Amino acid sequence: MSGEPLLSVRGLAKSFGGVEAVRDVSFDVAAGSITGLIGPNGAGKSSVLAIVSGFLAPTSGSVHFGGELVSGHSAYRLARLGLVRTFQLSSEFERLSVIENLLVAAPNQRGDRLRDVLAGRWRWRAEEDEAVARARELLARFEIPEKEDDLAGDLSGGQKRLLELARALMTEPKLLLLDEPMAGVNPALIRRIEAHLMALRDEGLTMLMVEHELGVVERLCDPVVVMAQGQVLSSGTMAELRANEEVLDAYLAG
Amino acid sequence: MSSSMQFYISNLLVYLGVDVMACLGLNLQFGVAGLINLAFIVFQAAGAYTAAVLTLGPSTARGGFQSYILGAHLQFPLPWLAAAVVGGALSFVVGLIVLRRLRTDYQAMVMLVISLIATTVVTNATGLFNGSNGLALIPQPLESVLKLSPVGYQWFYVGLTFACTILVWVIVRRITGSPLGRTLRAVRDNDVAAASLGKNVTQLRLIAFVAGGAIAGLSGAILAQFISAWSPGSWLFPESFVYFSAVIVGGAGNNMGAVVGAALVPVAFLEATRYIPQFGYPGLVDALQWVVVGLLTLGVMWFRPRGVFPERTRRFARPPGSEPTHE
Repeated sequence: MSGEPLLSVRGLAKSFGGVEAVRDVSFDVAAGSITGLIGPNGAGKSSVLAIVSGFLAPTSGSVHFGGELVSGHSAYRLARLGLVRTFQLSSEFERLSVIENLLVAAPNQRGDRLRDVLAGRWRWRAEEDEAVARARELLARFEIPEKEDDLAGDLSGGQKRLLELARALMTEPKLLLLDEPMAGVNPALIRRIEAHLMALRDEGLTMLMVEHELGVVERLCDPVVVMAQGQVLSSGTMAELRANEEVLDAYLAG
Repeated sequence: MSSSMQFYISNLLVYLGVDVMACLGLNLQFGVAGLINLAFIVFQAAGAYTAAVLTLGPSTARGGFQSYILGAHLQFPLPWLAAAVVGGALSFVVGLIVLRRLRTDYQAMVMLVISLIATTVVTNATGLFNGSNGLALIPQPLESVLKLSPVGYQWFYVGLTFACTILVWVIVRRITGSPLGRTLRAVRDNDVAAASLGKNVTQLRLIAFVAGGAIAGLSGAILAQFISAWSPGSWLFPESFVYFSAVIVGGAGNNMGAVVGAALVPVAFLEATRYIPQFGYPGLVDALQWVVVGLLTLGVMWFRPRGVFPERTRRFARPPGSEPTHE
């Protein structure tokens, strides 16, 4: 991996009242990598993810995405630039069908603009047909094609995780921020999701992943950034981190 | 048919048209976009007052017995168009304040307060729309031009109302049946997830809010010019709840549900029962109407929580020979 990192976080800080949740956090995400972000509960991982994805404004520090300063942008603008996050808790649109969940995420739709909508269906029908075809490809890829017309709220927990991934991919992201994608998922499905993520990486998608399951992190992530008490403790491959006393004390040994 | 029967039926049909429009507008805001606009009736009232002051002429006319702002004599259909514009513009201003930062449950509270404030202001600032006495003798569209019999004009008004209702139906259908409608439902279900997918949630809510407000304004203009009078008593905050009941009973998120809800709740239960003979102490029948509307809503929530016509998801046709295998 060479050249400019896709995501570059410098000196990030965030305080809530008197509590400093994030203190001087800096790290890079290289294009084409799955970078892991681990640390004990309360380490500030989720705050970092929320800041990077635009859902939380930092107290200080900067985030560059693709060379452009993006800290301070709102979440929807970052998503349109290709920086898209998923959520730890299921966040499906429960009264929409599974395929409608994906179609919502299709980027830059004419059919989302009022003037085109009022002009009539012919303005957006062709684009919609393409989106439907792409959504079906994603449902097939994630092995839930038969769920197309089911209400998303009726899916099982594991199927909702797959839907969440498929929906995020529908936006054609450049960088995917995954917030504990394996939370509440059974071991068999964890392996399937791992395989999906590796395949996506091999196709060139960059990911930053917060995950508690260290086995998953070891198999998927290189490099891994360790956070504790709002700060970056260390980073490197999982094997290097296991040999690091400081990391062991703070986290791995528990 | 006797002419009094014709009056009765044509009255109900105009109310039906007005209420269908209002319910389609509220359904767009509440059923589709999830905005709990407890001030909905204020936007209908804004349209009603707009149409009134734009047709009444200068307030010095008729000996200046009522005072109001703006008095003008605009030709039909300009007052109705203006009413829709004012309903939409007022929604835009209110929406900019309320929809940007607040969560939807707090939005609902603020809307209720706005409804109360609006009533207080219009009642006490008598120079605006003649205070609590309201505006009377509002001219009816084209009445002096057409020279129809009273019954004939009633039916003409029914036609005019239904033409507007159909126009509103077509516009609302175009929105709800489009990707935009789907995105609005997504924002309703989970606004944070919608933002994470690149959706400008505030802008989307404003679109639904302004479109619904414009429709409310138009419906108010049609109503005020039909009954020729409009006062704060016509738009007290409980009237918003009638429309909410209608949308919930009919099926929130479904346009057909809004139509059926409008026919069931405001028309069948409130308008038609006005003609029931009074019994008991004065006002008992009116009070019972509210009880019946409440019971009907409760009953539907209990037995059919998604309404008579539940919201539907869209199914997409498959290219032939590519049916998915079901497990």
